[in-house]
Amino acid sequence: MDTRSETIYGTYYDGQVADPRDVIFTVVEVEPAGIDPRDELRFYSQMVIFLEIKDRKLDHEIAHWDIASIYAKPSRKGELRLAANGQLPGARLVVSDARMAKTVRDHLPHLARHKSKRRARQSGLIIMATLAMASVVGAYLYGIPLLAGRIVGLIPAQTEIDFGETIVGQLADAFSEEGGLALCDADPESMANVAIRRFTTEALAGVDTPFSVDIQVVNNEIPNAFALPGGHAYYFAGLLGQTDNPDQFAGVMAHEIGHVVHRHGMQQLISTAGTGLLVGFVLGDITGLSVAGGVGASLINTSFSREAEREADTFSYQVAQRLNFDASGLADLLDKIGEDDADSLAMALLSTHPLNQERRAALAAFEQNSQAQVPAFSDEEWEAIRSMCGASETSAPSTTPSGKVKTKG
Amino acid sequence: MPTPTTSQTTISFLGTRWRLFGILLSGYLLMLMTLGMYRFWLVTNKRRFYWSHTQIHGEAMEYTGTAVQLLVGFLLALAIFLPLYGFFFYLSTQSPAATVYGYMGAGIFMFFLTGYAAYRGRRFLLSRTLWRGIRFSQEGNAWAYAIRRFLWICLAIVTVGLAYPFMVASLWKYRYNHTWFGDRKCEFTGSWRTIAGPYYFIYFMFVGFIVAGLYFSGAMTSGKAVNVEDFGDNLIVVGMFAGAGFVSFIAYFYLRARITSRMLSSVTIGKAKLVVRVRARALFWQQFSYTILVSIVAVMFLLLLGYIMGDILQPLMEKNETSLNEVLKLGWYNLVIFGLIYLSFMASLTMLAELVFGLGFWRLVARGTIIENETDLRTIRARGEESALVGEGLADALNVGAY
Repeated sequence: MDTRSETIYGTYYDGQVADPRDVIFTVVEVEPAGIDPRDELRFYSQMVIFLEIKDRKLDHEIAHWDIASIYAKPSRKGELRLAANGQLPGARLVVSDARMAKTVRDHLPHLARHKSKRRARQSGLIIMATLAMASVVGAYLYGIPLLAGRIVGLIPAQTEIDFGETIVGQLADAFSEEGGLALCDADPESMANVAIRRFTTEALAGVDTPFSVDIQVVNNEIPNAFALPGGHAYYFAGLLGQTDNPDQFAGVMAHEIGHVVHRHGMQQLISTAGTGLLVGFVLGDITGLSVAGGVGASLINTSFSREAEREADTFSYQVAQRLNFDASGLADLLDKIGEDDADSLAMALLSTHPLNQERRAALAAFEQNSQAQVPAFSDEEWEAIRSMCGASETSAPSTTPSGKVKTKG
Repeated sequence: MPTPTTSQTTISFLGTRWRLFGILLSGYLLMLMTLGMYRFWLVTNKRRFYWSHTQIHGEAMEYTGTAVQLLVGFLLALAIFLPLYGFFFYLSTQSPAATVYGYMGAGIFMFFLTGYAAYRGRRFLLSRTLWRGIRFSQEGNAWAYAIRRFLWICLAIVTVGLAYPFMVASLWKYRYNHTWFGDRKCEFTGSWRTIAGPYYFIYFMFVGFIVAGLYFSGAMTSGKAVNVEDFGDNLIVVGMFAGAGFVSFIAYFYLRARITSRMLSSVTIGKAKLVVRVRARALFWQQFSYTILVSIVAVMFLLLLGYIMGDILQPLMEKNETSLNEVLKLGWYNLVIFGLIYLSFMASLTMLAELVFGLGFWRLVARGTIIENETDLRTIRARGEESALVGEGLADALNVGAY
């Protein structure tokens, strides 16, 4: 006993020749012979259902699609496009009449099931892709700073030193508007420079590092001090004017030396590169062109992480302890660096930068030597250092020049 | 249907802007929620929309590509871009001069790569396009195309645009002579002459105005000292330059319409032939309505911003200071709202462009196209299996390929 659906009009493509055939087709259900219809499970599972597709003019069967192999292709609303496994990939049966398309759907309930299954699979994929992306973001937020520390260990010291040299070139350009990086005292044998060199050597004594640090006092009115990868460090005249005593000066210098020893500059660069890559990844602009520009310059525009600052502070305190001077002024002075710039507030909000209180607390926790402390520089030396950049008596500029370059030591 | 000596078949486009708007809106929202990952699905949905609503001889096209293919293509493109990114990073650590030259070199390389990506993207699209159960495909070498394109563009620049028609003809020829529908190859029958008329007409008109403007201004200043009575001459100069400006304004619509129409009308497959007519006027109206719509959207967003953020932004306005410091004092909550408004504004602009230009141009070309001798296409046979190309990752990354 065969059951036939009403006749449906469609267009048939065999996937072999680009010749559309106007067809009529019916859904045919062939009842299995010799099975009791009351045994529903067996009866219906043995039932054969297929599409009988006939040429409309010639009225002979041109295709025979088994129902289980049929699936729907995406199409516009009101049109049904059927394809079947086992047929050529381009074979299609298209029903353009919305009412007839509904009739077919009613006879082929598994199409709707396939559709929801496919939807679920796609949603799963989208969720997976999103989770993958989220984990990339997470890996960046927590992983890259961690990784940067490891990767830095793989970079030879000489590479970092060479690299520092090229940054010096870039920096001179960046600061050219504010007076460049002209030395306050070009004579390396002057009392001030000798004293600074002596301090640097003492600070590094017994420290296991491949770098030698060269601190230069430069004639620039921005209150600033920073260290570059490889050992160049700068102390700006603007900050020197606000430095009250030799121990503060020594403390800040030791802090910068700490950055060099811990290779924070290099870590920062690697993190920046990672950021660029990530932003590009999310936006789909994987060329990262928009982000990669001037990484060297970006080094001086960004602050070191809270962790890096803490390490540099610790280094500074250790030096103070070893050389027996008073490092308590460090927190005050470091706070003056970039005091007035917006970045510092942003950093405070993002809480990646140690706030003054935290720094003071850390300092208080640090055990001071019981012996009487001796200033890091003699009075004569300190006087020489203070007058390096000409008139030392000039009061510190009350307002910070709106420098393009904002740096946190 | 009465069949004259050449039968004429039309193409219709049934898609509506509302439907596309729905696809785009839900797509953008999902992109926001999926950190951008949904874009491969959005692109796929968009293509399905365009393809399935385009009917040639009443028979719809079908886009058979999937989002996963695009996703895989993107990951493969990463493999090319990671080293490139490393190179950029390395460059930026070098001396300023090296950085500049390096970036220039890399920029030229990227420009070259764009041609490669565009050709690969076209190949992907064609191989995923089905009509009458038969697939399109594209042969040819993407590198060869990229080199050809690059050299032609260099030549066009060197000749101040005079070589442009030759370039266009050469590239179209390469593309279409390597395009197949089933087992039949397309043929590009045009040459530089196809567009030479409109192009050089506009070109020399523009040059003429500029030269005349320069001539009159030169005649004015080289003679005696400029005085107020010479204003008449001055007006001529202004008029000449205004004329040049007007020509270049017209040229955008006029040339785009003519070049699209004439080049597409030079494409044949066997005895079948495309006849395309896109009107400059229609392109102008698209631009016009886009400008109006963008203005409306911009005003609406400004009002919205004023309404929601007025009180909050007030102190900023008063101080007339927009330092990061001040902005951050607004607090996170307001910043998020601000960011969302900004994002939705940008999304609105992209959406408008897609709705007006994307859909508009597709529909113009579809409705302006007639296929002559369509019956000849009925003997075309399928050729080979769908190639195992994965998505056009490079094209996606380089942002080429409009649809």
